[in-house]
Amino acid sequence: MSNYPIFGCYYYPNSSQHIKSYAHLSHEQITLVDSENTALLASTIDDCQLDSPLPGMASELIFANGGRFIPQDVEFRWPLSLKKHGLSERLEKNKVLIVASVLLIPLLLWLILYRLIPSAAVYSVNLAPTSTIETMGEHTLSVIEKVALEPSQLSTKKQTQIQQQWRLMLNSLNLDSAKFRLSFYQSDYFSANAFALPNGRVVVTDELVELLKNEPDALRAILLHEIGHVQHHHSIRLAAQAAASTVVFAVIFGDLEGILEVVLGSGSSFLQQAFSRDMEQEADEYAIKNLLKLGYSNHDFADAIEALENNLKAQEATLDDTWLKYLSTHPSSQKRIEYARQYKPL
Amino acid sequence: MESIHPTSPKSNHTLSSIFSGKVQFSGKSGEFFGIWSVNILLSIITLGIYSAWAKVRTYRYFYGHTRIDGHSFDYLATPIQILKGRILAVIVFLIYTILSSLAPAIGLLFAIGFLFLLPWIINQGLRFNMRMTRHRNVRFAFSGNYGDAFINFVLLPIASVFTLHLLLPYVLKRIDQYMHENISYGNKPLTVNLQGERYYIAALITLGVAIGGLVIFGFFAGASALTIDNLNTQNFSLSTIVVPLLIAALYIAFLTLVGAVYHSLIRNHIFNNSEFTEVATFDSNLKAIDYAILLFTNVLAIIFTLGLAYPWAKVRRAKLLASVTEVTIYSGVLSLIDVAQNEQSSFAEEAANVFDIDISLT
Repeated sequence: MSNYPIFGCYYYPNSSQHIKSYAHLSHEQITLVDSENTALLASTIDDCQLDSPLPGMASELIFANGGRFIPQDVEFRWPLSLKKHGLSERLEKNKVLIVASVLLIPLLLWLILYRLIPSAAVYSVNLAPTSTIETMGEHTLSVIEKVALEPSQLSTKKQTQIQQQWRLMLNSLNLDSAKFRLSFYQSDYFSANAFALPNGRVVVTDELVELLKNEPDALRAILLHEIGHVQHHHSIRLAAQAAASTVVFAVIFGDLEGILEVVLGSGSSFLQQAFSRDMEQEADEYAIKNLLKLGYSNHDFADAIEALENNLKAQEATLDDTWLKYLSTHPSSQKRIEYARQYKPL
Repeated sequence: MESIHPTSPKSNHTLSSIFSGKVQFSGKSGEFFGIWSVNILLSIITLGIYSAWAKVRTYRYFYGHTRIDGHSFDYLATPIQILKGRILAVIVFLIYTILSSLAPAIGLLFAIGFLFLLPWIINQGLRFNMRMTRHRNVRFAFSGNYGDAFINFVLLPIASVFTLHLLLPYVLKRIDQYMHENISYGNKPLTVNLQGERYYIAALITLGVAIGGLVIFGFFAGASALTIDNLNTQNFSLSTIVVPLLIAALYIAFLTLVGAVYHSLIRNHIFNNSEFTEVATFDSNLKAIDYAILLFTNVLAIIFTLGLAYPWAKVRRAKLLASVTEVTIYSGVLSLIDVAQNEQSSFAEEAANVFDIDISLT
């Protein structure tokens, strides 16, 4: 096939010496000669190695002694290269595949990040033993306690009253009262708020109790929302998803330079926010369903959100920062209120 | 030895330069786009396994298209080598994540352990990258030791905090000195002579640009905060999406600008003060403004094409960096010997990637 010589550069083994040379190819034999036609090297093809070819790059031939011959012509491909050898290069030069990958990559990434990982995360929940989740929850609480919580200032009477209401609710829903525990804290950081830890501990701030002191049904709705987070294993799923997406991004995109990591990083934090919005919705639904089951009204939940929303709006003038923070992780309050008001049990 | 004559003019005679000119970069964005997009697709379809092949092919493309005196660089790592390191790194990362989310206290313990592991990861990563780099059939090597790396990457940065960061430019100089002076090409070590005062000057200039940038950034942020209020009443959901994006874009622009200024000043200084004695000297003439504009337009292009401009941006950057770098090669290059080297694991390099440690050389 190649009777004409191939011009290129021969690098001597283990040294920086090189020489311009010509490769002659005949049957199973390769002979290198210099410009004066003096033979430099002869080898059988079987003793040579080829790197997998890359578009736009010369295909170098590696001899058994470690010497290398690099053809001048970057398009030149050795006729002896095995069929499968150039597969990657043929794919990389295939226009149809390039266009297809531009369309398929976002689609597949979406499938992996929004479908595959979230559903895999649901299964990962069953892998974590209860005792581990218990320590996980208590450890997390002790960290938050140090950073943002103060002992509750609520009267013992008020606390007992809410605890009674809580136990009553757990009993009617057949929930384990050893698992689901209610704690009160005062917190400037969280203000009127409640959160749930993965082991079933629900924390309510004094400020929230104060805000809803005339609406016990609204407080119940919020507690149910927090139980919903625990029942759906939201914190564990979120942690598993975050770890999995970090790995996916690192593996698929490899090491991007500095600033691009920032861009991609903010992309993945948007992703996390989208997930936590979905999870809020799930917890809302759980709360409303169980309110109805317990014989209360779906409007209780709407009232609770409305009260929180009004409270936040009142604070907005002084603390617009928290307002933005709240908006970014929760679905629009208006939507949540509407959803709750129009809820129809199936 | 008894000569009292100055030796420099004489040594210029014994040392003849055989090449002097710019580094050439011949990669094409169209071509690399195909490699990049198809490789990502294959990586996804193979659940990440092909990503090791993708990495090797990308590196080979960029190394192979970078030429000095007509000779290209070669990237020598094999995909299997990368894959093994990558799998190990992902396993370690997952164990770390699981343990630290189970108990934050363990996370803290990890953070302390990490400080002691960091010098090792950096050394191994640099060692791997250097050993996998070849030029004219001669490989590079990195010979830094743990003690020095610990001082430069852990002790000095911590000490710098207690000096209100006044020590920081000196620490950065020490880090660059360490990372470069331990490089050797074949049997020839790189001689590096960095000056601390140049780092302080670079830091002052960068600080000046940063303050100037912050004033402008603050102005824009203030203006956009005003638009929040204006939009709120009419189109409330739009403003909550657009404004944070706008602020993020400005923030990225700001970081790009500041980073470009510092990097160009320091890159020039490092190149101009490093040499492989009797083999090669370097000259870098990267203008901060050119680099800043290039990086900034790169980021904009990548954002507005939703990532599709990445190959173009990467090729464009490589082209600029090559075009401002001049290398003079001396006859000593012809007598270099490739030092025999052991097999090397890519674990540290891959761990640095997953854990997001930047160990790139300028």
